This record gives sequence, structure tokens and C-alpha cells, in this order.
Amino acid sequence: MTNIAEKISPGDKLIAELELNQDSLTGSDVIRSTRRNALKSFSKQGLPARKSEEYKYSPVNRLFQKELSFVTASPVSDEKENSFALAGLDASVIRILNGVVHIPVSGFDSATCAAWSLKSLPKEELSFFENHFAHYALPDTDPFIALNTAAFQDVLIIKIADGAALAKPILIQNITDSTHASFTQPRIFIHVGKNASVEIIEQFASTKKEYATVCNAVSEIVVESGAKALFYKLQNDCAGLQLISTTQVYQHHDSHFDTHTVTFSGSWTRNNLNIVPDGEHCETHLNGLFILNEEQHTDNHTLVDHRKPNCESNQLYRGILKNKSTGVFNGKIYVRPDAQKTNAYQSSKNMLLSDDASMYTKPQLEIYADDVKCSHGSSTGQIDEEALFYLRARGISADSARILLMQAFAKDVVNTIRIEPLRKEIELLIEKRLAN
Amino acid sequence: MAKENQILEEITGGEYKYGFSTDIETETAAIGLSEDTIRFISNKKQEPSWMLEARLKAYRYWLTLEEPKHWPHLSYPTINYQDIIYYAAPKKQQQLSSLNEVDPELLRTFEKLGISLEEQKRLSGVQSTIAIDAVIDSVSVKTTFKETLAEKGIIFCSFSEAVQEHPELVKQYMGSMVPYTDNFFAALNAAVFSDGSFCYIPKGVRCPMELSTYFRINTSGTGQFERTLIIADEGSYVSYLEGCTAPMRDENQLHAAVVEIVAQKNAEVKYSTVQNWYPGDKNGKGGIYNFVTKRGICAGDNSKISWTQVETGSAITWKYPSVILKGNNSVGEFYSVAVTNNKQQADTGTKMTHLGKNTRSTIVSKGISAGFSNNSYRGLVRIAKGASNARNHSQCDSLLMSDTCGAHTFPYIEIKDKSAIVEHEATTSKIGEDQLFYCRQRGIDAEKAVALIVNGYCKEVLNQLPMEFAVEAQKLLAVSLEGSVG
Repeated sequence: MTNIAEKISPGDKLIAELELNQDSLTGSDVIRSTRRNALKSFSKQGLPARKSEEYKYSPVNRLFQKELSFVTASPVSDEKENSFALAGLDASVIRILNGVVHIPVSGFDSATCAAWSLKSLPKEELSFFENHFAHYALPDTDPFIALNTAAFQDVLIIKIADGAALAKPILIQNITDSTHASFTQPRIFIHVGKNASVEIIEQFASTKKEYATVCNAVSEIVVESGAKALFYKLQNDCAGLQLISTTQVYQHHDSHFDTHTVTFSGSWTRNNLNIVPDGEHCETHLNGLFILNEEQHTDNHTLVDHRKPNCESNQLYRGILKNKSTGVFNGKIYVRPDAQKTNAYQSSKNMLLSDDASMYTKPQLEIYADDVKCSHGSSTGQIDEEALFYLRARGISADSARILLMQAFAKDVVNTIRIEPLRKEIELLIEKRLAN
Repeated sequence: MAKENQILEEITGGEYKYGFSTDIETETAAIGLSEDTIRFISNKKQEPSWMLEARLKAYRYWLTLEEPKHWPHLSYPTINYQDIIYYAAPKKQQQLSSLNEVDPELLRTFEKLGISLEEQKRLSGVQSTIAIDAVIDSVSVKTTFKETLAEKGIIFCSFSEAVQEHPELVKQYMGSMVPYTDNFFAALNAAVFSDGSFCYIPKGVRCPMELSTYFRINTSGTGQFERTLIIADEGSYVSYLEGCTAPMRDENQLHAAVVEIVAQKNAEVKYSTVQNWYPGDKNGKGGIYNFVTKRGICAGDNSKISWTQVETGSAITWKYPSVILKGNNSVGEFYSVAVTNNKQQADTGTKMTHLGKNTRSTIVSKGISAGFSNNSYRGLVRIAKGASNARNHSQCDSLLMSDTCGAHTFPYIEIKDKSAIVEHEATTSKIGEDQLFYCRQRGIDAEKAVALIVNGYCKEVLNQLPMEFAVEAQKLLAVSLEGSVG
């Protein structure tokens, strides 16, 4: 490599590769033009700079130290995929491998729910898709949204029919095969019809630890009026993965959106969770739990943008940090002038268990309406000595007592998980992680 | 409700009392900023060459900086730094030896502001004395009680005097808390600062009276750049007050000050500010741009620095009084009431940096926004690695008085030590209907009820102020919020 080439910034390299490949990427004319605009938007923004306020505690330069390519490895075998299964969970499974959607033939009741990849999308659904796609996750708001919109290979499109109540949860396995230093761009679009009700689990996994693959996932979720959507994000079994995961939610009036972000593994994780309740009487719950060790880095960024009156939002985040791990919580509640009678709460509590661990918290309130009740509370500390003493006085060993107290701390979040097998699985994982 | 709204409007519509300007003969520097301006200022003050060098160094560094406009929650037109007069001083014939030689017009100005430069008891009904350093535009015009203080070994004088008479102290401490490289406005101040107060409390001395600086911007088109340095030696105590006002003008005037505090072992410094710069008119025309860097260091063990501020003035406030808790067992405190009305904007808060062991900090911030204003709390609590048993509690509450204003909270919490316990709470709401109802049911009219509730809301902070200031602050709150109850 020549000296001149070395001076090209990682962002410029990505732009150059994308410009070369624009013609070979899939999509209708509308989608192609969306891609081009997104690329322009990324060219304008570039990768977040060191001083970027949004990426202050999660500088992204380390992700691009290795030369990354959009070219990905061939999909992993079925046998490998099964190892990511969740015990006891009866769900309709869809896999995304390196950003390419694999839909099983069976498992979907087409009257209530349909799932397509971009290629298998029926012609009559195209205009519906084009009317929604990239209308919520706007490329101009974040460089990684722009990158994904410009470079995605495929889109998982899920459409829940009006009034449908799905019996089984949908499990989306977002798997990255990290045999290359690649930069994958999984993309999901979910439309929950009026008065429908659905439970979705998105699981992130990677096959290898050695290669530092970067995954830049974007999901757009539209919850129509009166609908109820539960969305669980489980980040486990992805030890070597560096992940930027953006979830953009748009809620119509009287809808209910409930989400959990559970992070156990991943060497570097950034979760952008942006929710726009844009109708009256919306209810939104954001829950998060992370247990980190070694040199893991996890950044939970939330934004609830209240635009209409009489809505309620609740944020509940718990973090346990061990070894040299770093945690970030940046939660923002935004209340626009029209959004009177908003009730918005936020709670972020963290436990630091090691002198080498760091926790950065930035709970923000931006409020432009007066008849509101908004509050946030944040605390960082360690295990309560008195509680420990109480347990030890009852003959419980110091180690067991500590684990018990940490489990209780995580319970605040775990107890709100509604899918029984998932909750059990997460409880098991917590026990395992804390025991180490 | 309608009546309450009306009362709210009345309360928030209070007029600015200190908007007059005085006709004093002044001499000013030529408009604009260059190395020549700095040489002019330095020459005017007959400064030693090291001081001029320090100024030029800061200026050259400032040229490389960009105005910090991307992170504060403020919006204002670009400031033209070449359109400001950097030095304005009342003309004086010779060195003043007594108060009689002070320009009578100047004395009247301060009398009108309720500040007496004569060494007498101040404020009816309150039996206490305060030593005052009065700064008008770019220079200190008079420091009272100097001799009385000197008996105890306390140095209290203008900054320029300190440069001449105590260069060793100035050299040692100036820029040690706020170096010229700190930020854009600190660099600008280090280059062009004209005067300010200097205070040194020797070992083991408890300052017998409140020390105070009173800042007044008078001349049109000028900026004020003062610098205050307070050094509390081992085991000493001082309580310091700062007040400020400016005439009503259509233009925006720039105020970029620096305050530095050092508290050595077992020393305690209490710094109180009642900031009442001209906030601009109802339509947001005019008013002071207040960009201030304040920082104190608890250098020795068991030391304590406490900031209390009541911010009611200025079109724009950008101010983060901070404490670096370096000594073991040191304590930092920040109590703030920030009121914004009409088109005012405030982005204010504090930074607590915990370095020593067993350090404690408390943050209480009460924001009140009314009219079309925007009021932000921005604070940082940083617990460094090794700062074991650090403890912080922060509370930031916002009260919204109209449906067109904004209240924001931007707390940054960075923790790198596992033994730290850090808590942060914030709430935003309007005055509770039930609280109002409770008062009104007991025969208190709506306006008084609101005043009562707001006062109660701010009590935690107002209680921290010295008596004289507390009285003034309470009055100021009432005036600033006149008519804003609903």
C-alpha cells in the first residue's frame, strides 16, 4: 500500500467502495434513489468525529482500524445456526446471515403475518414498502443509518395484518459469520397493523471470535393505532462482534410498544433506540440490562421524542460492570411544545464491581411543554454492605450472597420480560455470567 | 386559571431596575482586537513585561480556537470580536487617595445601585459590614476596608494592583485553575482582561467580613473581561460575594470573565453570585452575553469550596462554576437558582472532578423558565480512578411557567472507581395545581401563592446565601418572575 492510500480516512474508503458498487446493489428505482441520497448524506456527515457529542463516550475509530469491506463471507451452515437456538422457545424463526435474509418455507401463517426478503417481495406489496422504507430511520440523523441505507444487501420485511394476534413469537436470528474483516448491513422493516399484537425477538450472534467484524444493523418498526408490539433484543453469543444496532420506532395513536435490550456479549456494542410516539395515548416502555466483563464496551443510547399529548414513556436500565469493561447510558426524553400531559420517566442504575471498570451516564431531558411530569434518576454504586451482612448473618457465603444481590438487581428488568422461555433463558445466562 | 395566567404574566413582566446609564468621562481603546490592543491595555496598566507576554501568548492561542457553538443549548448570532471595545475606564486625574477624589457621578451610580462605597454599615436592619471592590467597565474604581483587612494580613485589592504589588502570588496562581488553554472564552479573557479582584487570606485567618466585588458595565459598545483570583491559605475562611448590573441597551454586550479559587489545607471558600446583568427587553433585543469560566481547586486535605449562584439576568448565560476535589476529604458544593424569562437563554451547571480520597460533592440546581426562554442545566460529575469512597448527590429540578418555554437537563456522569456512590435526580414539572389549591383554600391569593411556592422551591439554594444577598435574591426572584404564575 502506498503512503497516499494510507492517508485516506476509513470513511472515504467506504464511500469509494460504495460508489463503485452502486449499480450492482438491489432495489427498485425508488429504492435506488433512496440509496444514492443516503450515500450523499453519509459523504456529508462522515464517520462520527472524536468530538461528536452523540458518540462522545463511544469513539468509533477503533472499529475501522482494520480495513473493512462490504464483501461478506458465504453464509454459515444450518448446523451452526442451530447452536443459537433458545431452549424451550416455540417461535417462527427467520435468519439473517451477513445481512442476507433466509425465510423458511414453513412457519408463517400468511393470513396474519407475512415475511419476505427484498427479492421475494410480491409486486403488489412494493408500493407499500416504498412508502415506508427509510421514512423513519432518516439517513441525515445518523451516519450509520445513512451507511446502512446506502449499502444494505437485503431487507427483512415483516407485515402483521390488521387485528392479528400472533400465537407464536417471531425469532429473528441476526447472525454474522466473522471469517472476514467485513462490514455487514442487516436491515429490517416491521409493520404492525391496526389493533394487531405481536412478540418479536431479535437475537444477535456471531460465529467466530478472532475476526473483528463490524455489524451495522438498522430496524424500522411501525406500530399502527391500537396495536401492541413487544420487541426483545438479545445480544449473546457474539463475543467478537462489534455492533452498531439502530432501532427506529414510529408509534401511531393508542399504540403500545415495549422493548428490552439485553447485552451479555459483543466486544463493542452501540444500541441506538429511537422511539417516536406520534399520536395521543401511546404507551412506551424501554428496558435494558447489560452485564459486562473483560474489556467489553456497551453504549445504550435512547431517545423518546414525544410529539403528541397524553402519552407515557418509561425507561428502566440496569448495568453490572466487571473487569475492564465500560458502560454508557445516554437517555434522552424530548417533549415537543404540543405534547402536553406527557408523563416520562427514566431510571438508570449501575453497579461497578471493579476498579478498572467505567460507567458513563448522561440522562437528558429536553422539555418544551409545561404541563408535563418528567423525571430521571440515575445512580452508580456497588453492592450494599448492609444487605451483604444481612445475608451472611444467615449463613450464606460471601460469594453466593453477592451473586444473589446482583441477581436481585437485574430482576428489576428481567421480571418485565413477558415471554416465559426467554425469561428463563436470560435468568440462566445471568447466573452463568455472574458466577464467573 | 385565566386570572392565574394574568398574574403569571405580570410577575414575569417585571422591569429591569438597573437599566440607567451614567455619563462619566471615559477613555477607551480603539475598537477591535489585535496585538496592539493588548499592548495598549498592558501599557495603560503599566504592567511588567511577563504579564504582557502571558497576554500575547493567550491571544495567539485564542486565534487558533473556534467559538464553542456546537454543544451548548444556545442560539445567538455570531459575535463579531472586531466590533467590541476591549478597554474602557473612567478618566482619572491622578492616583486616588481618598473617597472624596472619586468622581461624584461614579459615587452616585453606585448609590443608585444600592451599593455604598463609603465604609459604613450597609442595608438597613442588617448589622454587618462588607468590603467592596467596585469595578466599572474595565477597571476597579475603589476598594473599601482595605486597611482594616490589611491589619489581619488579608490582601484585598484590584487585580491590577496585585500585579504591581504582589507579582509573586499572581505569577504562582494565575492560570493555575483556568489556564488560557482551557476554552475559547478563557483564552480571550487571558489576553484582554482588564481588571478584577484579588484576594489572599493568610494562614489560619478567618476573614472578619464578607468580601465583595460589584461589576458594572457602563460604556456602550464595550465588553467586560475581568478576572478574579481568590487564594485561601491553610486553615483560613472567606465568604465572597459578586454582583453585577448593566444599563439597558439595544446592542448585545459581551462579558467574558474568569474566576479562580484555591483552597489550601483546611481552608474554606464560599463564593456567592447574584447575577443580574441586563437580560434584554421582552422581544429579546439587547442584553448581556455572559460567558464565564469559574473554577476552584480544593488543593489541600479537608478543604471546601462552595458555589452559590442566583442567575436572573443576561440574554445568554454560559457558566459552569466547577470544583476540582484534589485534597483528601475535600468538599465541593454547588447551589444554583437560574431564572429565565422572555427570550433569555441559560446553559449553566457545574463540574465536580473527584481526585482525592473520601471527597464529597453536592449539586442542587433549580431552574425556572418562563415566557419564551430556554433554561438548561449542564453538569459533569467525574470520579477518577483511585478517588476511593467518593460521594456525589445531584438534584436538578426545573419549573416551567409557560407553555412556550423550555427546560432541559444534560448531566454527564463519568465513574471510574468502584467505591464511588453517585446519585442523580432530575424532575421537570409545572407548579402543582394541588399546591396552588392548598394555598388558595387557605385564603392566599394566586400571586402570593405562586411566590410562596417558588420561594419554597428555591429555599435550599437561597438558604446558602449570606443574609444580605438572600434578601436581595428573594426580591430579585419576585421581580424576575412577576406575573408568571399559572
